[in-house]
Amino acid sequence: MTPLERAEAKFGWKLVAPTILILGLLILYPLMYNVYLSFFDVQLNGYKTFVGLENYIKLLTNTDYYSAIGTTSLYLLGTVVGTTLLGLAMALLLKDPFKGRGLVNAAIMLPYVAPVISVVFGWQFLFDPISGVVNYLFVDVLGIWSERTNLIGNPDSALWVVVLFDIWKHAPIAYLLILSKLVSVSRDQYEAAAIDGYGPIGRFFHVTLPELYFVLATVVLLRLIWNLNRFEDVYLLAPNVQTLPIFTYYQAFTGVIDQGLAAATSVIQLAVLSVFIWFYIKKIMKW
Amino acid sequence: MAAITLKNIIKSYDKTQVVKGIDLAIEDGEFVVLVGPSGCGKSTTLRMIAGLEQPTSGDIIIGDRVVNDIEPQNRNIAMVFQNYALYPHKSVKENIVFALRRLKVDNDEIERRLSEISEMLQLEELLDRKPADLSGGQRQRVAMGRAIIREADVFLFDEPLSNLDSKLRSHMRTEIGKIHNKFGRTSVYVTHDQVEAMTLADKVVVLHDGYIAQYGTPMEIYLNPTNIFVAQFIGSPSMNIIEGTLFNDYLDIDGHHLPREKLSNVAYQETISDSGLKVKVGIRPDFFNDKAFFSETDLTFNFNNVVIDLIEPMGFDKEVLFNLAGGSVKARLDLRSDITLGVKIDLLVDLSRVLIFDPETEQRL
Repeated sequence: MTPLERAEAKFGWKLVAPTILILGLLILYPLMYNVYLSFFDVQLNGYKTFVGLENYIKLLTNTDYYSAIGTTSLYLLGTVVGTTLLGLAMALLLKDPFKGRGLVNAAIMLPYVAPVISVVFGWQFLFDPISGVVNYLFVDVLGIWSERTNLIGNPDSALWVVVLFDIWKHAPIAYLLILSKLVSVSRDQYEAAAIDGYGPIGRFFHVTLPELYFVLATVVLLRLIWNLNRFEDVYLLAPNVQTLPIFTYYQAFTGVIDQGLAAATSVIQLAVLSVFIWFYIKKIMKW
Repeated sequence: MAAITLKNIIKSYDKTQVVKGIDLAIEDGEFVVLVGPSGCGKSTTLRMIAGLEQPTSGDIIIGDRVVNDIEPQNRNIAMVFQNYALYPHKSVKENIVFALRRLKVDNDEIERRLSEISEMLQLEELLDRKPADLSGGQRQRVAMGRAIIREADVFLFDEPLSNLDSKLRSHMRTEIGKIHNKFGRTSVYVTHDQVEAMTLADKVVVLHDGYIAQYGTPMEIYLNPTNIFVAQFIGSPSMNIIEGTLFNDYLDIDGHHLPREKLSNVAYQETISDSGLKVKVGIRPDFFNDKAFFSETDLTFNFNNVVIDLIEPMGFDKEVLFNLAGGSVKARLDLRSDITLGVKIDLLVDLSRVLIFDPETEQRL
């Protein structure tokens, strides 16, 4: 480094120092404290007893924990695949300009920008067993179901309602990301592929998909990170669906409160997520 | 192999007509160049032949099929795009053989054609690279290879050389000519470069403002342009257009009297009143010669004592400007002419090359 470069680097550090400090306090400190807590039996009055790996052992022998992992996997699979495919489909359909595209775009974005709490109540009302429109449609109008069912009340079906809700709410962001790349694919490539004898399907697989590879990979990654930690949507709509964040919350703050165990859950989750993201970024996104 | 016929093709975007009624018959195996300034409709016409645009009205016939409603992928055509349109995710090899994969050509045949094409275009070393790792000229060759390997009925070229530097452009121009001679496919080539038009074409279509201004062999277009637009568009430097007056016995240019009976390229036969007929006279700079090096014959006319205003040495020849009939006129003289600014020289013009045009309609007389 030349003296000038060194001075510049020094200046750069000074500029980012406040940010580093704040981030360190807000993120790094709680994170480290969480790791620390996971090795203790924490009392509500603040007393802590060191228990070593006991929390981890307790967790790994708890069948509810594995059931939460299973639920989370299904939730992730459903929501990530669902939002990505729906976002892709909408982007492909709405790529070319048409009259009223602005309005359609606004309508598509609406679920994403609406506050969770308000739309959650809307959804609970839709699925209400007595007055909800879903039961009315499937039982009274279409006659597909023989009797009214409480879809949100039953944890098994509630999982799919939660998945559906997440797809509906978050497909718009996938749509936006994919569309922004899609409109920048040069028309020439499609024309060249048409001249080379490829119809719409061939052009999709040989031109569109390779062009979208990185944006699709990004969408999938973002959705995975967000939804592995997703709490409010699930908890508000169907608190009986125990994904990992909900499981952790119940451990930490309800019933027999066990903050050490909850901390251990988060630590494992963080470790798995970190390894997974590292692998994903290296292998899939090739950074 | 296929002939191409365009029947009264019109193309409009909203209310703007871009192509205003084109009739064209291209014979099997012919190399036809569409040339014209930007916005004349040449690329649109080519894209309609390719099927990338739909004509608003009229018929496009390739071989014995009306192809108006046939998708590009079913027309059996190959095309070279202006910015090459290579597939960035595929290797050079996969770019070239992409069409063959669709046609389910068997692998041995693909390899055979690939090695032939890549040797011809000197692409052997590049087959595993991605387009982003190639230079402009290399990409151009890949685009050529991708078009040739198809052995399609028709080759279409949309300004394929316009992104290359001038040296590479003239090299690739020669290559395209050789490739056409080798394969003999019907080819339609769009360019705004009249040198490409002159050198490559069997026939040239000069387009102007959505119409065909003239259709003929390069030499016909060069020597016998049918209107002032074609006269000035083809040829570099472009044809001088000079004010003149036609009389029954002679053509008057600024007091110079060119004998009417020697103007063998003037077809105008009507009797002219005593006040004469105002015309525009077209003389190419190439048809002037320095009298010091060329002998006067009864087929030449001598513009004597011309004062030279400007000299532009081009190497082998030099272009000089002088005043005639209130306008600036350019002549191309060979390098022997040892002239300096302000001197008076005698310039001979070949009378059989003098053309006249109607000043109103700008058509040949």
